[in-house]
Amino acid sequence: MDEILSMARELIPPSLREWKEGGGRVVGFTCVATPREIFDAAGIVPYRVRALGKPERDHADAHLSRFNCGFCRACLQLALEGAYGFLDGLVETNGCDHLRGMFENWSRAADPGFFHYLKVPHLVTEESLEFFAEELELLREALSNHFQVEIGDPALSEAVRAANRRRERMRRLFSLRERENPALTGGEALSVLLLESSLPPGAFDDLLDDLLREAEGREVTGFRARLLLAGSATDEPELVREVEGLGGLVVTDALCYGTRAFWKLPEVEGEPLHALAEAYLGHLLCPRMFDDYPSRLQFILQAAERARVDGVVLVYNKFCDLHGVENVRLRLDLEERGIPVLVLEKEYGSAADLGRIRTRVQAFLERIGGRRVAGTPASPGGSGKP
Amino acid sequence: MDKREGGIGDGLFRRVEELIKVAVLLPKGMSDQEVEGLLRLLPPDTSRSMRALLAPRFRDVSLDFIRMIGGWVKEAREARAEGRKVVLVPFNFPPEIIYLFRNAVPLTSEVLTTLGVSVLEGQGERYWDYAMGLGIPDFLCSSSTIELGSVLTGRDFEPDIIVQSAPGACDANSKIHEFVSLHMGIPQVILEKPTDTGPRGRELHGRYFLGFLRRLEELIGEELEEERMREVLEEANRAAELYYELYDLRKFSPCPVPNIFSIFTYGTRFTRWGRPEGTWMMRAMVDLSKRRLESGEYPAPEEVARCMWLYIGYYFDFLGFFNWMEERGITYLNDILSLCQPRFVDTSSRESMLQGLAETCFEYPMTRQMGASSMSLAWIEDMCGFIRDLRADCAIYSGHHACKQTWSIINQVRQEILKRTGAPVLCLQGDSWIRRMTPTSVLQEEIETFVENVVRRRRRRAGRGA
Repeated sequence: MDEILSMARELIPPSLREWKEGGGRVVGFTCVATPREIFDAAGIVPYRVRALGKPERDHADAHLSRFNCGFCRACLQLALEGAYGFLDGLVETNGCDHLRGMFENWSRAADPGFFHYLKVPHLVTEESLEFFAEELELLREALSNHFQVEIGDPALSEAVRAANRRRERMRRLFSLRERENPALTGGEALSVLLLESSLPPGAFDDLLDDLLREAEGREVTGFRARLLLAGSATDEPELVREVEGLGGLVVTDALCYGTRAFWKLPEVEGEPLHALAEAYLGHLLCPRMFDDYPSRLQFILQAAERARVDGVVLVYNKFCDLHGVENVRLRLDLEERGIPVLVLEKEYGSAADLGRIRTRVQAFLERIGGRRVAGTPASPGGSGKP
Repeated sequence: MDKREGGIGDGLFRRVEELIKVAVLLPKGMSDQEVEGLLRLLPPDTSRSMRALLAPRFRDVSLDFIRMIGGWVKEAREARAEGRKVVLVPFNFPPEIIYLFRNAVPLTSEVLTTLGVSVLEGQGERYWDYAMGLGIPDFLCSSSTIELGSVLTGRDFEPDIIVQSAPGACDANSKIHEFVSLHMGIPQVILEKPTDTGPRGRELHGRYFLGFLRRLEELIGEELEEERMREVLEEANRAAELYYELYDLRKFSPCPVPNIFSIFTYGTRFTRWGRPEGTWMMRAMVDLSKRRLESGEYPAPEEVARCMWLYIGYYFDFLGFFNWMEERGITYLNDILSLCQPRFVDTSSRESMLQGLAETCFEYPMTRQMGASSMSLAWIEDMCGFIRDLRADCAIYSGHHACKQTWSIINQVRQEILKRTGAPVLCLQGDSWIRRMTPTSVLQEEIETFVENVVRRRRRRAGRGA
């Protein structure tokens, strides 16, 4: 686990560096609506763009503004600094207004080489599924033409099967996190997912096998409360560790860098592009989707019940309209069902915000009561070790 | 619950309605003395807005506008009493689509907000504060959140149906409409604009549009009739002709079209398009502007700047904004909303009308730019075209803080406009409907400094003015 935590802190984990050094290609994407199987079939590593809590934004702010989400500004900052120079291309999605602005500036200010816009509808209807399947076909063609690779249906079907197996094992791992004596902390789980979306598939599969073996006999102890963490783009394991250091163990989540990226994705079967369109658009648990709030609420309620949480922390980055508004409705609906909720607005990656966050989490933990091992903060690296 | 609890009192719609009931009784041809007498009777915030509207140079047209809006508000109230449906629509949705139904009337969230902010004592602050009290984030857009905050209080006139047409173009607008629908249990009908300006995007949008109309028909309980459609859309076409006449009048220098006609234009477009009242209003604006052109009337010694407002204006102080600029020779040529460029709908068949309406939605102001495949490209191209066509010599971005899309690309837009047209761009910052963020005096100072030091000097160098 220590190796995973260390690798997840790097923008380019060692095995990805080796992949690049060996001539392998890497294409960046941001949104969970992007079917990574198409890249896998092309022999390209799909890399989920991240900022890992980077606080600097000075270059990015010359393009975006301080009214834009800190996550997007931090990602753009990294791109402008050249930290994303290892990417061979970039796939834009219309995840939210901030992301669209980020991509428009990124593609103009720091030529990503290959650039493709995957347009994701905001409604799930017969028409939109058909449109999205065509979008996936266009993505396949664009990748194929630019990188001069064949992405045939057999290769795609094989990639789909491999992804199905990987997701199934991820669900097994995350179930161990939700059990009475959790096998891993929230910070660790988030680190695993960051690696999952940045490593060459084979490298991650090996790591996952090791992890599953290790996790079976592992137990995290010494926490005061079991929490569910939900909300907007949160790729900051350090933030989760802060919460856990106060005694609130994040035993499950509904984050887009977390379980929302894979938990509900069904077994993909049939003609691959249509099946992928239905799986990814039909199960896109993001507040950017309209007419679908009940599904998102259900997802959280089910996770809360499975993981027997004591409370829910709804987090959002300042200026995130989608989660900012969604969290108001979620809070009302969860509290109505007797689930205590903390809504936490945060400035992405800002150390200056940590003191305020700590105070609010401490107060929340006091409010929901020290039902577990009171007074002893979670110690995943200590007593949590098997 | 006591209606006065928490200082909310009545909702925005009800309070606006009460004021407008009186305002529509004001006669045309009022003398300055009579206006002064009236203004002394009004609370300060209301009085300031009425002073702006009743400026002698366009007083009677303002009274026409008040009557038009009064009729719109009254119709919604009466529709409810008669069992017809009241449909709350956002500004980026053509109201004539609701007028196609005999049993429905439109109310526009952002127009109600603007009315509340401009005529109510305390502007819209109590409704904004109520929404914040519920937990709605303070970076949301006040244009919709003030009116919807009022609906959320449960002490206002509630719509029967909520339309939202911003998914793909504006997260803030889409989410707050969705929230109110969920919170109040009001059915919502959604029209998505695919962020694809190509043929595939248009085709998908066309299919969405037909599904959207079917859902509206179900909720309203009425099927669209071809004759009714034709009647409404021919009226809309008449208003569109007048719109372009007014647009052309703006090309003259000094500009014969008063600054405040920009907001009257979209006030009309967003409420009464497709109804005779909307056409009359457009005609009133054209007639007055023509008279001013013929007589050479202009409120300042000279026109010192022709400003294209790249986005929207400020709506909490008409007097300190539209009138103040005009009296200093600063022309507010147009903004993204008054540049709505209405389409002429072919009324020869049901299909042609449906297609025309779908295109109208697709190209509606702000949806057209922010819902495009590339926001910056669409916005830059449109604005550069208008700047050249209207001979603007500068541009101003109002920098409404809630508008994350435009904030995310304004640096590109500013650079490109300067490069392509030579027009310098001033970027302001504030909240267009809440005076607490950036007061009028600060905005005025920034505009004045820009005009004096940048625009005027360039004009002098180019030999276009003293």
